[in-house]
Amino acid sequence: MSFAFKLLNREKKLEDCRPLFEEKKYEVQLKKLKEILKPLEKATETGLIVNSDKCNGCGNCIVVCPVHVEKDPQGAGSGRGPTISDPIYRIENGKLVIKNMHACRRYGKSRILCVVCRENCPTDAISFLEG
Amino acid sequence: MICTACSCLCDDIELEDGKILNACERGYKHISEYRQNRAKNSVNGKEVDLDKAIEAAVEILKSASSPVIYGMDTITVEAQKLAIKIAEKLGSYIDDNSSFCLGEFVEAILKKEVPSATLDQVRDYAYVIIYWGTNVYRSLPRHMSKYTYYPRGAKRNRGYDEDRFLVVIDIRKSEIAKLAKKNAKFIKVENDVELVESFLKAVEGKASKYDVGGVIREMKRADFNVVFGGLGLKYGLKGNYGLFFEFIRKMNEITPLYFLPSGFHSNMRGFNETLFETVGAVNRFSFSEKKSDKAFEFSELLRRNAIDAALIIGTDPVSSLPYDVSRNLMAVKKITIDPKNTLTASISEVSIRSALSGIESGGEMVRSDGVRQKLRPIEKTEYDDVYILKKILEGL
Repeated sequence: MSFAFKLLNREKKLEDCRPLFEEKKYEVQLKKLKEILKPLEKATETGLIVNSDKCNGCGNCIVVCPVHVEKDPQGAGSGRGPTISDPIYRIENGKLVIKNMHACRRYGKSRILCVVCRENCPTDAISFLEG
Repeated sequence: MICTACSCLCDDIELEDGKILNACERGYKHISEYRQNRAKNSVNGKEVDLDKAIEAAVEILKSASSPVIYGMDTITVEAQKLAIKIAEKLGSYIDDNSSFCLGEFVEAILKKEVPSATLDQVRDYAYVIIYWGTNVYRSLPRHMSKYTYYPRGAKRNRGYDEDRFLVVIDIRKSEIAKLAKKNAKFIKVENDVELVESFLKAVEGKASKYDVGGVIREMKRADFNVVFGGLGLKYGLKGNYGLFFEFIRKMNEITPLYFLPSGFHSNMRGFNETLFETVGAVNRFSFSEKKSDKAFEFSELLRRNAIDAALIIGTDPVSSLPYDVSRNLMAVKKITIDPKNTLTASISEVSIRSALSGIESGGEMVRSDGVRQKLRPIEKTEYDDVYILKKILEGL
């Protein structure tokens, strides 16, 4: 399992598993794994995927984000557009845009699997790799 | 700037490096596409200058025996006042979209038949927030994030999952109904009148068709609760507004419950308030008969072929009214004042191009909760609704 986690966290690449590429008997598994890991290409380092087609810019995700509430209580935390220079999210041209993923609680070594933004998206425009 | 795409009138819209920040998708399209599909000044399909178009409009209104002025929900209060003066001068009918939208709800608030509050108070104090027959995700996209359920408020600063209780009442699992998870309840309603009766019985501690005892208990825990009523509630009540308002009053004997309309165009409430201040009615008013009546609704007037000229301002009845009603417009002389080349403008005898309120012209608009906002346009055009309506009034 630890190799799988490292794969998802971008600490390892599929190519690091040499038998998978060198031994013909794993050909089917390799194909399947490539398919499974395809969403990784679209996801950010925290596993976040934003589907812009589904987003109408309601801003729920921005206002509920615990990091925004802490860093920008009078702006995003109070329902207004972010007033800090480095918000995680912002609405640009009517759509959610990721601005500073490094501030997300899911980023880095002491990360937690926060899903508050996803939980409050009315159209499932936000998803994470784990589901 | 202030976005005029809907009655939220969001005041935190910023323009930066060619991007529009903080506006929802609806607001973004409203602002970014303002130069597209613009109306032209024309008389009988021929392009003319503005003075000629105004002259032709004045002639139609002067020679009409039964004119109506209709729309006005997307123009400023200053322009609405002028439109009302024109109606007064002509002794004509005057009506806006609120006659088939939420006019009855605004009227009850202005007549103080039900207690109401501002959206800022809702953000700061509300505990139980009920959305009844309205899917604000579609109609007022930032309603929940900017004003109601999600923002931290002065006395509600622990976040939505601890400091709010959300109730969504709808006939289907709408987008906002999907958000009713922890500390929340979704009521799938089949009959709104029966649901109001269930609430009234629950107040007395009696059981009934809908299980709403838990919602009443939650409301009793707080000193500020609110109901947002939309078109689903209006039409679901089938005219039984009195019963619904009685429920609000009865609740207020136990715990504070405020009522706010949820929906409509950017300045519909502004029109309702402006007309109410002038004649004591919010819509469908006849200046010749000096009273408001359902028979004076724009759609009713069209159904009965009771008008021969219509001054249509900032609205598109050909698109918004049923064909059975709007087809009768063909027998009416139409003057359209609109920034956009709407379907109605394209079939009007006179079309006058105006400025887009909030983007090209300033003035005042009234938010859905009655709070007045001064618009901060990004451009200035001389020929706005105020200029055009002033000229028409002078011509009459």
